[in-house]
Amino acid sequence: MATSAIIFYTIAGIMIIFSLLAVTSRRILRAAVYLLFALAGTAALYFMLDYQFLAAVQLIVYAGGIVVLIIFSILLTTHINEKLEKPAWGKVFITATLVLGGLMLTLFVLTNHEFVLGTEPTAEATVSVIGERLLGYQAGGYVLPFEVISILLLAAMIGAIVIAKRNSTKS
Amino acid sequence: MSSEALIIFFLGGVVMVGAGILASNLLAPKSSNLQKAEPYECGVPTQGTSWIQFRVGYYLFAILFLIFDVETVFIFPWAVAMKKVGLSAFIEILLFLIILGLGLLYAWKKKALKWE
Repeated sequence: MATSAIIFYTIAGIMIIFSLLAVTSRRILRAAVYLLFALAGTAALYFMLDYQFLAAVQLIVYAGGIVVLIIFSILLTTHINEKLEKPAWGKVFITATLVLGGLMLTLFVLTNHEFVLGTEPTAEATVSVIGERLLGYQAGGYVLPFEVISILLLAAMIGAIVIAKRNSTKS
Repeated sequence: MSSEALIIFFLGGVVMVGAGILASNLLAPKSSNLQKAEPYECGVPTQGTSWIQFRVGYYLFAILFLIFDVETVFIFPWAVAMKKVGLSAFIEILLFLIILGLGLLYAWKKKALKWE
């Protein structure tokens, strides 16, 4: 077996174990931390694919930002000390059926789809290429979306403050 | 970098750390009592559990952090490509940061950064 395959299966195994722990843990804060490891495993997979930018985004935004947000929202709730109740069997059954259905569909598509290897050289997706395209104002550049993103982030920030401040004045 | 090197590096790390922990476990004299097992916090006896309910005020900080977190994602490729693109890149990022700075200014003005 090739060494890259060993690395891939190790990462995949770690991701599967932590994903299972995240959904089976009865303590919600631990579930959030297990999720963090699963997301870090995804970043490791992106690194394996030589896609450094997406891996960095995965680490910064998902493993860094989203998990912090999830942990904060957990800590805002009461009863974090208590263990979650065991889910009812009906719910377990329905969820298991849906998950199995999704798995079957994915496997069906993966095994039946004819994957054609492209002969044309694919565009490089290194960070510097992404940066040049992001800042370029000639054809193929994305400088306008780049600036629009800052406005979008500004809108998100103002929205968050407006909502949070309205709640705090009420209480 | 070949993946063999990565595996050897990883195994080396595991062996080094594992050997250290194992050796200290085998060699170190052990004594245990109840006081040693207590959680340490600046020498003051701890009160209650560490899993307490946080104040809502933290949530706004978390969201603001997330937004600036996303901002860094766009600064990374800029930082790598800046020298190659030149002056226009500098002006573009300046505009980007000024627009986001307005958000920070708004947060400041609305006293969202103030701890109440």
